[in-house]
Amino acid sequence: MSYTASVDKTVCISAGLCVAEAPEAFVFDDDEIAEAVEGHPGLSDEALVELARSCPSGAIRVLDADGNEIELT
Amino acid sequence: MTGTEQTVVLTTFADAKDAYRAKDLRQALYDEGEIVMADVLVNLHGEEHRARRRVENRLFRRETFDHYERDLFPGVIETTVAPYLAAGKVDLVHLGHELLLNLAALTAGIDRPEGTAAETERLYAYMMRFVEGATLAHSTQDKDAQRVVIGQALLDWDAEFLTPSIERRRALDPADRPRDVLTCLMEHADELGLTHEVLRREVAFFLLAAAHTSATAFVRSIDHILGWIAEHPEDAPKAAGDPLFVQRCVHETVRLNPSSPIGKRRALAPVRLRSGMEIPEGSSVIIDLMAVNRDPEVFGPDAAEFNPYRTPPPGVAPFGLSFAAGMHVCIGQDLAAGVVPGNDVDPDNHLFGLVTGAVRYMFTCGVRRDPDDPPVRDANTARPYWGRYPVLLGGDA
Repeated sequence: MSYTASVDKTVCISAGLCVAEAPEAFVFDDDEIAEAVEGHPGLSDEALVELARSCPSGAIRVLDADGNEIELT
Repeated sequence: MTGTEQTVVLTTFADAKDAYRAKDLRQALYDEGEIVMADVLVNLHGEEHRARRRVENRLFRRETFDHYERDLFPGVIETTVAPYLAAGKVDLVHLGHELLLNLAALTAGIDRPEGTAAETERLYAYMMRFVEGATLAHSTQDKDAQRVVIGQALLDWDAEFLTPSIERRRALDPADRPRDVLTCLMEHADELGLTHEVLRREVAFFLLAAAHTSATAFVRSIDHILGWIAEHPEDAPKAAGDPLFVQRCVHETVRLNPSSPIGKRRALAPVRLRSGMEIPEGSSVIIDLMAVNRDPEVFGPDAAEFNPYRTPPPGVAPFGLSFAAGMHVCIGQDLAAGVVPGNDVDPDNHLFGLVTGAVRYMFTCGVRRDPDDPPVRDANTARPYWGRYPVLLGGDA
């Protein structure tokens, strides 16, 4: 697990795909905006990237171990 | 190009996906349909859109869809189809709208206290007017005359269905109110700054969108499956017995026949797509979904053909971009088409989507074309809709 994920809360539209697909790695906050759980438990780096790619609003950002942003398109 | 206005047409999958996610490209598909679509969710932009979408998305969760698909909808399908099955025939266009209207009314929050066929017929007639309004850009009729009729239909529907539904909810304890779009909007009206007129159009939009887009997919899916099994008779048993096969057929149908053949956006600022394409500020962007979803770079050399066994590359949905992407991705996508199955799908816990359930049920009823009454296209719109699609049911399939 070397990648890290974050959710841009100003972009998230609460579609909930990440929470439904990976409930251990993403949760809703009190306003039902998604947030990433540290270490994205239950998700491999590859699965994390796939999930970020399928976020409808493009709110999930993934960084590699060196802090470089992973290309999601 | 006319004057200073430029039109940019996107025909590749990569450009289309990029454009749907571009924050400076604003929705413009419904500019001519404002009589119904002004200020509704899919027409909003920026913070106003995000605020309303976040509120409404709370209703569109998988546990809700699971309840609809497993508990609610099977009974609705059976009850709706029963009289036609007894008669041995039906027009699929009418049946699709009637079937999906029953669900859309529940989702939108439009009550039918009489519970009669006549009451449903009246709601159906209103909904078809709203469909006309939303798709006015593609109408082949006198659009100004249509606007007058549709505007009056909205007011009449409000008096007959919407306002009584609002009053019924107001009379209930908040904890006892049904969880539907209307209740959700009533409870957040102040926070979202909703006027009654906007609420009226928003609920009308949910009614038409949920029923009409799914109803057209229902008819087209059956048409494609009938064509497929004529060529591949070995797959005939799967149409009634294998919901994963039927879901693949629905996804392939939706890829080839997006509910709207184009997406449309307007550039609020200069936008540069990853391919290098420049979109000038103020220009109109047409996303040609018929071409995008047939992009051979993505879907292979036979992209224009119907093939339920097609495997798209990773990161590409089997239905292409028919449900759009980005901020305006269809809120009811999983409800209508289910979740895209992975390699380790468990059929007992999988969401197949309501269209899949309805289509599969029709094949258990022996649906087949009527050789004496062939289907005809709808001449009232430039959109490729079926106007009538008579089929036979039951008996010797």
